[in-house]
Amino acid sequence: MPVIRVRVERLSRLTGLDLGELEEALFRLKCETEVSDGGEYIEVEVNPDRPDMYIAEGIARAVKGIIGAEKGWEPIPLGDSGVRLVADRVPSRPIIAAAVVYGVDIDEEYLEELIQFQEKLHESVGRRRVKVAIGFHDLSKLPSREVRYTELGLDTVMRPLGYSGESMPFSQFLVSDEKGQLYGSISLDRDKSSHPFLVSGGEVIAAPPVINSEVTRVEPGTRDLFIDVTGTRPDAVAKTLDIIVSNLAERRGARVGKVSIEGPGAVWSRTPLLEEGSFELSVGDVERVLGVSYSVEEVSTHLERMRHRATPRDDRVVDVRVPPFRADVIGVIDLIEDVAISVGYEALGPRWPGKFHGGSLSWETRVYRGVRDLLVGLGFTETVQLILTSPRMVEIAGMKDYSVEVLNPVQQEYSVLRPTLLLTILLTLKENQHRKKPVRIFEAGQAVYLDGGTPKDDLRLALAVLSDEAGFEDVQAPLYSILDILGVDYSVDEARHPMMMEGRTAILKSGGEVLGLLGEVRPEVLEAVGIEYPVAAAEISLEVLSRWTSRT
Amino acid sequence: MGEILLSEGEYRILKKIAESGFKEGTIDEAAKALGIEKSTLASLSVLLAEKGLLEVEEHEYEELSLTHRGIEALESGLPEEKLLEYVVRRGGRASLKELREALGSEAGIAIGQAKKRGIVEVSSGEVFLKLSPEEAKRALRELREALESVSVGRKPRAEILSELLSRGLARKVKKRIVRIRAPDDVKSIIKRSKVEISKLTHQMLKSGEWRGFSFRPYNVRASPPRVLPARRHFLSEFIDYLRDVMRDLGFTEVRGPLVELELFNFDMLFQAQDHPAREIHDSLWIRKPRRGDLSGYGELVERVGEVHRRGWGYEWSSEVASRYVLRSQTTAVSARILALKPEPPARYFTVGKVFRSDAVGPTRLPEFHQLDGIEGDSSYTFRELLGRLEEIASMLGLKLRFKPAYFPFTEPSVEGYVRLPNGKWLELFGAGMFRPEVLEAAGVDYPVGAWGFGIERLAMAYYGVGDIRKLYTRDIDEIRAMRMRWF
Repeated sequence: MPVIRVRVERLSRLTGLDLGELEEALFRLKCETEVSDGGEYIEVEVNPDRPDMYIAEGIARAVKGIIGAEKGWEPIPLGDSGVRLVADRVPSRPIIAAAVVYGVDIDEEYLEELIQFQEKLHESVGRRRVKVAIGFHDLSKLPSREVRYTELGLDTVMRPLGYSGESMPFSQFLVSDEKGQLYGSISLDRDKSSHPFLVSGGEVIAAPPVINSEVTRVEPGTRDLFIDVTGTRPDAVAKTLDIIVSNLAERRGARVGKVSIEGPGAVWSRTPLLEEGSFELSVGDVERVLGVSYSVEEVSTHLERMRHRATPRDDRVVDVRVPPFRADVIGVIDLIEDVAISVGYEALGPRWPGKFHGGSLSWETRVYRGVRDLLVGLGFTETVQLILTSPRMVEIAGMKDYSVEVLNPVQQEYSVLRPTLLLTILLTLKENQHRKKPVRIFEAGQAVYLDGGTPKDDLRLALAVLSDEAGFEDVQAPLYSILDILGVDYSVDEARHPMMMEGRTAILKSGGEVLGLLGEVRPEVLEAVGIEYPVAAAEISLEVLSRWTSRT
Repeated sequence: MGEILLSEGEYRILKKIAESGFKEGTIDEAAKALGIEKSTLASLSVLLAEKGLLEVEEHEYEELSLTHRGIEALESGLPEEKLLEYVVRRGGRASLKELREALGSEAGIAIGQAKKRGIVEVSSGEVFLKLSPEEAKRALRELREALESVSVGRKPRAEILSELLSRGLARKVKKRIVRIRAPDDVKSIIKRSKVEISKLTHQMLKSGEWRGFSFRPYNVRASPPRVLPARRHFLSEFIDYLRDVMRDLGFTEVRGPLVELELFNFDMLFQAQDHPAREIHDSLWIRKPRRGDLSGYGELVERVGEVHRRGWGYEWSSEVASRYVLRSQTTAVSARILALKPEPPARYFTVGKVFRSDAVGPTRLPEFHQLDGIEGDSSYTFRELLGRLEEIASMLGLKLRFKPAYFPFTEPSVEGYVRLPNGKWLELFGAGMFRPEVLEAAGVDYPVGAWGFGIERLAMAYYGVGDIRKLYTRDIDEIRAMRMRWF
């Protein structure tokens, strides 16, 4: 989740709260906080549904609402900027919107916050610049009042940020720069010969979504900003621009200017849209979801504290205007949550539904509980291991052909799902082979394997005995004892198994279904695992066992 | 006379003496008479003697025995006897050369001894018999008789004995002899004795003789050898306790597959197909097969697609929804249950493994357990959900603090924090009311609350385990020795 780092002093100045009060208010606003750098900074973990809080002004706006210092929101007056955007058709990145904000007055601290804001938006709503990317420009350095968004060849020369004004072909930047390598392929056209660019007065000012140019570099002292947002989806691009503009407009003395858009690639004729949402919320719906009855006035007050504009229409319904920067409100349910947050979850009065008859455990759980107690009584200790195991173990077991492998494992050691519990049982025995013998263990859990090409998991039970002379009877006797006590009918046949010795392996069946197998583990397998004592083991399906264990 | 304190072994010897009527004899005789191992008798008789309950006498004496050479001479003749026999056979004379050939290395001793006894004389390389064969035999008889005496333990005359010793035919060995004499009043000693024994046995109980015994006190403060029981695994016990809590609250346990369709793991839960959780670095997919079959879920797939198109405004793909993913949240099981449109009131829970793209480390594992519950009814509200969470926490002995939260599939959403015994806050639940979009996709027309939590973190706190890998230890002694916890 995005973590926003801000100076405590700056948030205090914006909200009038001390650190403790700030942390308490942010907790109620879904945020987790941590104080760092000896109390100078606060790190605010904001949920991904609130990108409007990825910068100090946005955090402060929400905080001032929930503490009751401010309420609702005011529409931002829109002037004309005189900047014209000509949008060509750019199939690899078709959507662009732009705006101008005057009087942002950037100092060193704010520049840092602005870059952080841009990065957090890129990572979350921008899906690492694929869906949305943002460019900030110093308006005064714009070579012309006209900016063109177009597709150009990769040999287009620009002066990328970070190269002290040096000119280079974009193709060179793509291979030599880290950002070029990371983001360079996102918006290349299909035959990899051209890329989107923003051009003004004959000079490239940006190559979205990769890099801006030195030409319009934003630095301390920059007063006015030209902002472009490009991407693949109109709603995401427009909403991101609304969030940015709304937050920059919170700066004292800032004004917003429209940018007109024309050309075959224009989705809108002017941006930002600063589009508000509009909902009717009935107090009945609030009561139905939260279980508390509120009047229209109370509901309105709570929504205003969450920075919506709310007006009672009658004694049932509230008209709600959602501010342009709230991207997460897509239905009345989201407004009802805002009411609950403003009230406070504890203050809603949790109601204990209490106990009910009719609860039950799955039959497999109950059968396993019985089996487990019997096994402990027979001197077996329960073990619990991971399902993910190493391909080497699966190969030792001779079960590679029907094992389920992970496509994107983090570690090779844990890159395949165990097709049998005998693998983890053997690994556990290996660790305990020098303990007092006999070593008796069991484990229950899922085995995962391909059944006719389809992945399937089966809840299994495995038990094993390791000792100087462990043999067939050492697992046969306890297993049969348990099956008899459960009242399960079973038949026994000779069987072959890749891990078990020939002539010393038996298959058990119940009602025609395979219940499991038991036998002595092959010396080749023991040697490959690293076990120096004989092992007798059994594995049965708890699902099959449960089916054939009578409840009466 | 006071009480006599006897050990169990001492008591047994006195008892045997009384029974057998043994009076006096060597230790070998006593061992035989009493039916007791000689070594046991030897050590215990000394202890009894120290208590004045038995007389033990020890004598040293010299025992005479034949050497190997002496035994050889007794069996096949002394060298001089062999010489006599040879010379007689040769008619009273023989050359030295012949004698050496016949007697070998014994020839020298034989001639010397025979001369000494005046049986032969030697001149110019020949040995002559000086006496008649009968007289000569008589001259050697005394020595032969001496050998025979020694062999049966008798002592010959002093001069002849010293000859046997000096010729290395006999030797003297120092020997010890222990004699035991039983007391006359052995029965009254037994009567007056108090027997102290270490172990009460089946025999004693059967015969009733325990009545005469007292039992040696132990050092009860001493530590015994360490033993560990066969046992259930503590993590499995912990999970079972959670199951019991859910059952007691009226919930029914359900299960779902580990290799899950994205349809249930993500799409039904209103997670957009470009949601970060669906990216390669967050969840785990399987190599083969990549996709499953959605044909059995026709209507559900249609409703899910519709909800995504309307809610998120993008072209939803059923192909993405058909991908197999290793279940990343047990809410997938809840989604499956919802899709069955259960009759309200609905109360279900599941416990199972989920998989994430994490490396094995002290705080994370690529797979762990989650518990997920859902509860729905026509009049179920967020207040009931909050109450339910408080109730579950209280059954675990914990007090909850609520924090507003965000999950893609619930609104309102809440996190439940608890203060652990170590004073730290732990995020216990993620919970909320399923969004209308989720209910619509499932086709459920009553409100449903849902919650889920990871089990390992909580188990670590309960068992005081600092490293998550310890929950999956392969050391069975760690499992056997784990401190038991109650809630």
